Amino acid sequence: MQRRTALKNVALTVGGLVSLPAWAKAWAAPNLAADLRLFKANQKQLLAEMVETIIPETTTPGAKTLQIETFVMRMVQDCYAPASQELLSKGLVTVDETTQKMYQKNFIDCDKIQREATLSAMSNALDPTQVAFFGLVKNLTIQGYMNSEYVMTNLTHYEFAPARYYGCVPIKQ
Amino acid sequence: MSNLNIDSIKARTFDAIVVGSGISGGWAAKELTGKNLRTLVLERGRDVKHITDYPTTMKQPWELDHLGQAPSKLKQENPIASKCYAFGEATSQFFAKDAEQPYVQDKPFDWIRAYQVGGKSLLWARQTQRWSELDFDGPARDGFAVDWPIRYADLAPWYSYVERFAGISGNKDGLNQLPDGDFLPPHELNCAEKYFGDQMAKHYQNTRPVIIGRCAHLTAAKPIHNQQGRVQCQNRTICERGCIYGGYFSSNSSTIPWAQKTGKMTLRPHSVVHSIIFDEKKNKATGVRVIDALTNQMTEYFARIIFVNAAALNTNLLLLNSKSNRFQDGLGNDNGLMGKYIAFHNYRTRISAEYDGHLDSTTDGRRPNSGYIPRFRNLYKQETDFLRGYASGFGADRVVHNDRAGLGESLKEGLLKTNYGGWRVGAHMMGETIPKESNLVRLDPVLTDQFGIPQLRISVSYDDNDEKMIQDYHQQLTEMFTKAGFTNIQTHDVPNKAPGLDIHEMGGVRMGKDPKTSLLNKWNQLHACKNVFVTDGACMTSTATQNPSLTYMALTARAADYAVKQMAKGNL
Repeated sequence: MQRRTALKNVALTVGGLVSLPAWAKAWAAPNLAADLRLFKANQKQLLAEMVETIIPETTTPGAKTLQIETFVMRMVQDCYAPASQELLSKGLVTVDETTQKMYQKNFIDCDKIQREATLSAMSNALDPTQVAFFGLVKNLTIQGYMNSEYVMTNLTHYEFAPARYYGCVPIKQ
Repeated sequence: MSNLNIDSIKARTFDAIVVGSGISGGWAAKELTGKNLRTLVLERGRDVKHITDYPTTMKQPWELDHLGQAPSKLKQENPIASKCYAFGEATSQFFAKDAEQPYVQDKPFDWIRAYQVGGKSLLWARQTQRWSELDFDGPARDGFAVDWPIRYADLAPWYSYVERFAGISGNKDGLNQLPDGDFLPPHELNCAEKYFGDQMAKHYQNTRPVIIGRCAHLTAAKPIHNQQGRVQCQNRTICERGCIYGGYFSSNSSTIPWAQKTGKMTLRPHSVVHSIIFDEKKNKATGVRVIDALTNQMTEYFARIIFVNAAALNTNLLLLNSKSNRFQDGLGNDNGLMGKYIAFHNYRTRISAEYDGHLDSTTDGRRPNSGYIPRFRNLYKQETDFLRGYASGFGADRVVHNDRAGLGESLKEGLLKTNYGGWRVGAHMMGETIPKESNLVRLDPVLTDQFGIPQLRISVSYDDNDEKMIQDYHQQLTEMFTKAGFTNIQTHDVPNKAPGLDIHEMGGVRMGKDPKTSLLNKWNQLHACKNVFVTDGACMTSTATQNPSLTYMALTARAADYAVKQMAKGNL
């Protein structure tokens, strides 16, 4: 159920006692662009390709289309310790260093197979910093993707107001 | 005195004053206005109107910038409040920020506060169990604190009274240690929880029942709830953001608008009560001194009776700060016991396990509630080397794994495929603590807050009885889980988790029969100043194991009824 409808229904059920609050009219506005002061545009560009490599477009949108790179940066900037912020910034430099070594070009200029090979290599690197960097980005990418509007609405069918709890139902095979 | 002054005093004079608008203050407001008293309700924080002032209540998960996680800056600014399990991106607007009211921790104590109309009733965990005779009888039987001046029979009709209005869901379990209430339909226990209950019945001959929690949710709204503008709970389980349905009970959705409708209530937000005014000639309290939080100006308000519902520790602070010639150590504090015998609930430990049965089943929907194991220790006689016992929350849910291996298309496929694991099982301890004179709060002689009100010094800690109880909880629950065939049983005591995060601090202005050893009588009146009633957590003589809010509501309704009857007789 769309939120506007849900709210109107509530207003109706309680006999029109309530008028819609101001915040209820604001949802159509797009989210304000996140203030990602800690990161630069080129870092964002690179991260977008990286999250897309982790969760690519198939018959359904990939992480880049869902702007998961913004989520990753926002979380690291706002909720993570300075050490993690540094891990992300420096890690992004390492990504290009790695592709330069392997393919003599930047990550963004690599093809899909090269990009996957690069991230695979980083996830298995001897350098624990590279492993930690990849883990940070991958975990946040998964978190952002699984909690994105597209996935929750179309793929995992999240219900905002289930209005029920059944304690014992058979699992559908 | 000029006419202007007389008019001004008249405008500031009411029949009753209620200090605080949380779960008990809201009830005082509803009861007193419902009995035709012109009532001034003073709230130190801002107004929060039902629905209108719940800014996050309709936000989908993806609409929260940090998916609900509190940003680091917010946590750094609020090292205490952010420890609360309910504190997050979608709820922080309902928590008092640490800087709003500094206090001194003589011993570590995380004091969680909520300063707005509705107080903590917006944020509470909504579990509502009645006390039993075995709880009221506790101090007398086991020789601690003082005897409660009331028994279950005194409160039973008032439990029913508040349950019917608030809407309490539960199953009639017929337990002596946890009396049934006037219930709305219960939530369901799930298959793993039912299985555990059956196993316990078998292994412990029905002495350790496992029941569905009793909670303040409208599982089926009745006309009395619709009249409040509330409808059936929609199982969103994001209650702490405020509920547009009024699906759970809060002052904001229920008692405050109900009181407003009478036309008898004046609600004054941003009103920090500094002290209660005592008139020596009249030998009673005549009003309160209020600091306007926005202008810092002090104004006096007057009334025939005063209900103090500022939340347990703030009620202590307010009364201790109400000094006069007659009461130099705080209003009604003739015996010097005010602020002492503070107790709380021991929430320090929990236990987890796995269950590999009922693998063909799962749950559907969401449940704003869990299972509950009422106290079984020391129920009818002393069985252990510690006093009293614990209740336990209990719940099970089916684990769903998403394969997170690799990257690319295989990862994407893995993430979206549902793989069921076994059941994850957990229980958490809710232990009764023994009120002691050494667990206390007092006023700092020097330090003050931004309003010039003394800072509270909190000196409350666990004791040997609590430690023994934790050990016993680990042993007993491990045994119970083992008998049920659960595996990977692990206990999770957090020894450095300070008291306070249970948010069940109680006492300091305890009820009792004897003015020499207690502050309040059986009607929640200060022994020494009868027109002041204390019906929040401060009045509690002992803590039992039940979540306390329902008892505060019942005590408040009972005291308000008594107060109005006494006023009619000219005794107040």
